[in-house]
Amino acid sequence: MTEILTSQVVSGLATGCVYALIALGFVLIFKATDVVNFAQGEFVMASGFMSYTLLIGFGIPYGLVLVATIVLSGFMGVVLERIVVRPIMDAPIFSIVIATIGASIVLRSSAGIVYGYDVLPLPTIFSKDPVRIGFVQFTAMDVGVIASSLAIMVVLYLFFRLTKTGTAMRATAQSQTAARLMGVSVSRIFSLTWAISAAIGGVAGVLIAPIIYLDPNLGFIGVKAFAGAILGGFGSIPGAIVGGMLLGVIENLSGYFFNAGIKQVSTYILLILVLVVRPAGLFGAAPVRRV
Amino acid sequence: MRWRRWLGGLALVALGLILLILPGVADNYVLYVMTRLFVYVLVALGLNLLTGYAGQVSLGHAAFFAIGAYTAAVLAERWQWPSVLCLVAAALFTALVGYLLGLPCLRLSGLYLAMATLGFTLIVQEMLLQLAVLTHGSEGMKVQPASLLGLTFDTDTRKYYLLLVVTVAMLAVARNLVRGRLGRAFLAIRDNERAAAAMGVNLARYKTIAFALSALYTGLAGGLSAFIVGFLDPQEFSFFLSIQFITIIILGGLASLLGSVLGACFLIFLPELLAGLDVWQALVYGLIMVVTILFMPFGLAGALRRYAYRWFGIGAEPMIPRRLGH
Repeated sequence: MTEILTSQVVSGLATGCVYALIALGFVLIFKATDVVNFAQGEFVMASGFMSYTLLIGFGIPYGLVLVATIVLSGFMGVVLERIVVRPIMDAPIFSIVIATIGASIVLRSSAGIVYGYDVLPLPTIFSKDPVRIGFVQFTAMDVGVIASSLAIMVVLYLFFRLTKTGTAMRATAQSQTAARLMGVSVSRIFSLTWAISAAIGGVAGVLIAPIIYLDPNLGFIGVKAFAGAILGGFGSIPGAIVGGMLLGVIENLSGYFFNAGIKQVSTYILLILVLVVRPAGLFGAAPVRRV
Repeated sequence: MRWRRWLGGLALVALGLILLILPGVADNYVLYVMTRLFVYVLVALGLNLLTGYAGQVSLGHAAFFAIGAYTAAVLAERWQWPSVLCLVAAALFTALVGYLLGLPCLRLSGLYLAMATLGFTLIVQEMLLQLAVLTHGSEGMKVQPASLLGLTFDTDTRKYYLLLVVTVAMLAVARNLVRGRLGRAFLAIRDNERAAAAMGVNLARYKTIAFALSALYTGLAGGLSAFIVGFLDPQEFSFFLSIQFITIIILGGLASLLGSVLGACFLIFLPELLAGLDVWQALVYGLIMVVTILFMPFGLAGALRRYAYRWFGIGAEPMIPRRLGH
């Protein structure tokens, strides 16, 4: 009983870490540019297919594939921002959202045309055999995914805290005008933000595709990650991480206690309940109203 | 100035005549597509009242649509209620659900509201599967055609006229509502909640009214759709449908009745026009969607109004606030 429960929690935490990574992508872009990018899940899907092609098609070693996927995914983020988002930065926020939804339809159907709609197996370096230490049962894959995700979060944190570019990005998020006056190229920061968000999405894709599935609809995982970001408080980085992890664990546990159908919606029921009590999520500040 | 009004009236009469004689000239498939268009126009009107006018984002309209459809279907199949009563009950019950959903949503705005309503859509879809006693779960549900005063709406022509009449009537209702006290209150809430409250607009009351009214339109559309399609598949009422609905009103134009109609035309006609493209259909559809929004960030109606003003001096330069629901 306890073994099953703990293994459910650990594997939920693994999925939750990936949700958290994707949620981070949402929040970083939102903080820096005030845009909600509904194509965020598509970065995950696209990088899954990219690494599949590099691994299976070209037989490139795993480490190189990982680096290549991150770079390519980041590049995709920059291109998407330049072509789809930047021309309408002054438009109503909903129009930008619809533009990113349109872009996600294009990416998803492109993947469908190239790879078809069958589920493809993406290899992973982590073993799926269960390991047991005391009461806790887990697989190397769970631990690998959790460790990789945490490592990325730490690297990101250090980048934002310690580097000059990171400071410029934080400044832009606080006030674009002030950042510009201090000599920060806001336009370059926008591109960089999209690149980083897409690259994180890319890592998430490589991590999650072997666990769940790899097909053109993998991008819909973005909806869950978005729910995680909202649960934590949209715009809060700790919120995105905690919200994503919480979502993963609760989803897995409810799958254990109830049936698969309930598993799919339990997180949304929880989300609505949390929002009723805390309308701006767990870590979100109450929205400032301009009068 | 007067000739312009005459011109507008003339165009409207011409359009009305075309819609009236269409069943005489068009084939059944065109009529079926038009009927679907009317259903989507009804939903778009409802959603635009809530999101465009009152500024409350909703991704919950697939759920309202489903509730309307299943209410009508269950009443008709299980208790053999007359079609009219089924439709009225579907609209009213959905409005009640909308009102109840509006209550917890009072504190939410913007993205949080969008996510909460999206969650509602996913929960309702799952309930359709779980409540198999009423809804037959994943098997779906057959619905007999509607009948009224001994007339059965079983042919495409009859369905077309039924929907045409209902849609035009509901369009007129919406037009009157948005131009009256209610519409002004909605716009005031959207533009600035505090200012609206200071002017005596009861925020809680009008927001829940907006939810109920919007759900009423969508529930009615769902009920009608059940009778027209004749089969309900729970897979249809996914969050993707909600995204389609919101796409309609944003592409068409927020806070615009014309925009609701144009957006529905875009979403219904475009896939039909692209049907020959096979696997490329979704790709081209997405591209057209992106390009449309890039060139018309204020939607089709916004672009129409802008160019009508710039080129012909008709109306006024449209002003649409950048932020909604903040």
